[in-house]
Amino acid sequence: MKRTATDIRKAIESNWNEYLSRYGNLFSSNHVDGSTPPSVFVGAYGYPKVLVGPMLPPVHGDTMILDLPEKWTGKSLEDIVNYRLSLVRGIKPVKIDDVGQKYIESLQEMSMSEKSTDAEMELVKNASPTVSIDGDSPIFGPIGEIKSAKFANSSSDKNMQRTFYDHDLLANDALVELYNRGIEISRIQKCFSIGMFGKTRKLVPTRWSITATDDIISKSLVEKITEYDVLDTSLVFSYNHLGNFFAVVMFPSRWMFEMQEAWYDEQGNIGFGSDFEDIKGMTHYPETAGAHFASRLAVSEYLTEKKAQAAVMVLREIRPEYAVPVGVWQVREGIRMALKQKPLEVSNFQEGLDFACKKLSIGKKEWLAHSKLYLAKKQKSISDFF
Amino acid sequence: MVFSAKTGGSEEWKAVISAISTLVEEATFEATGEGIAFRGMDPSHVALIDIAWPNSAFEKYVCDADVKFGVRIDEFSKLIKRSDKKDNIEISISEDKLLLVTIGKNKKYKMRLIESSATDTPLPKITYNAKVGVTSAEFDKILGDIQVVSEYLSINANPTKAEFSGRGDSGEAIITLEKGMPEMPELEIKEDSNATYSLEYLNSIVKAVGTVAGTVVCEYSSKMPLRLEFKVANIGRIHFYLAPRVES
Repeated sequence: MKRTATDIRKAIESNWNEYLSRYGNLFSSNHVDGSTPPSVFVGAYGYPKVLVGPMLPPVHGDTMILDLPEKWTGKSLEDIVNYRLSLVRGIKPVKIDDVGQKYIESLQEMSMSEKSTDAEMELVKNASPTVSIDGDSPIFGPIGEIKSAKFANSSSDKNMQRTFYDHDLLANDALVELYNRGIEISRIQKCFSIGMFGKTRKLVPTRWSITATDDIISKSLVEKITEYDVLDTSLVFSYNHLGNFFAVVMFPSRWMFEMQEAWYDEQGNIGFGSDFEDIKGMTHYPETAGAHFASRLAVSEYLTEKKAQAAVMVLREIRPEYAVPVGVWQVREGIRMALKQKPLEVSNFQEGLDFACKKLSIGKKEWLAHSKLYLAKKQKSISDFF
Repeated sequence: MVFSAKTGGSEEWKAVISAISTLVEEATFEATGEGIAFRGMDPSHVALIDIAWPNSAFEKYVCDADVKFGVRIDEFSKLIKRSDKKDNIEISISEDKLLLVTIGKNKKYKMRLIESSATDTPLPKITYNAKVGVTSAEFDKILGDIQVVSEYLSINANPTKAEFSGRGDSGEAIITLEKGMPEMPELEIKEDSNATYSLEYLNSIVKAVGTVAGTVVCEYSSKMPLRLEFKVANIGRIHFYLAPRVES
């Protein structure tokens, strides 16, 4: 029998409780001693005075996997939730522009580290590891207010270090430069969030920094793409993981991009979100929020590699098995994975969409009804007539 | 090198700048012995503007070597707006690569020029089967009438009449001009033609230059680009090309 979202959440909770019954004493303490992946979190609550601190598991060694989404494709929902839960989040209120203080400086040092770094936190009171997984709120392990924190010295990534010490480099340029040097998006985003780039530095809540990082980097890629020749063929890609079904349809055209999402609610009704942009970029905050920019990043990476521009429609169908939302990274990585598969070559957009929909439960008609790209596609270019 | 161009009033520059500003933020003009020209497309490559401003349209015009100069349209526009209708505007380029703009008798501006990134843009190759000349006041009205129900304008012309129509979720609109009506001084049809164009683009260009042009001449063919010609006194012509919308 197929498991429902509630079954999956229950299973995750009971796995976790079993884990705690063996190792619970590690978590329920006012002293946490371990190796941070490295990982840092900046909350949005209380902005501009936000809760900032390291994410530290009570174990030593190479813990990198616990906060490196780029390595998570192929893992199960349970695994990923467990990574998340095993990190104790230390918090301390800091004003977003107060980045000169020692505490933030040591978090910045830590964020640049090439590998997991030993750290210790003294908490005001015992962290409590009780969790409830309801499918709505983001998942955190135990949270505790920091009395004091110590970080071991670590060797920093040289590229990060250079952008960190360059106070003339604009934050946008720093992000793009690190990306071009092959640093993972999730690591760039952490440094960005802990106020390490730009002329005037400040903390950026993690949630916003993820969207901003995808947005800024993909914008720089799209700029390049729009100078390339038009893709010479129509292609369809698909991939699914974690109860998310992705399809990407691209066809020869000037750059146009649309991301559509559809999901089933508890009653089985379908909800839609859809955003379209062309060379002028986004003019409003997307309905699909960070997923729009995360998917644009994956798509623009692909086209940059192919040195071509195209019109691209990304479809994301969220099935009830996606019982616990684990973050927008899974959209970025899901579409990256889709674009690594061997594409199906088709003769045009319509045929591409037909194939894409074969692997989805929602039909072509419904996707088209929510599509602006489909309307924009009818608009020809003057250059078609040169 | 000597280049200087002086207009008899300020309306000419205002029309040229507002036309260009509907498509781009930066513009590169080319001055030759013949006059000043501009050609450019919007970033989506949906529309193209081609302006030919002959030397004869200026009160005084000297150009002994071809020169290209790029401006930021918003900067240039602010400055030109400081002129009264009757003020002459004289432009030239200084040795330190600034645009010198003299407005009226006593106002002198220097404005930075920008690196021109413009590549040569060709013109679309089209045989026009229909030519419909409409007074600009009437054309503006038609766009407004269609916009009530649609985002697109379809033009369907045959030797006896031109129909302007639009269709949207709320309904349809159709405006018919019969041959011989004063609002349509020109109707020349080689072949019945029907095509659809974006109102968003049409509206912005007609708002920008329609008021200074007496008539708007629409030339097009089925499923092909539209060319609008605005004849503006003392400029010569402004051609606006717009790619069609095609059902596929």
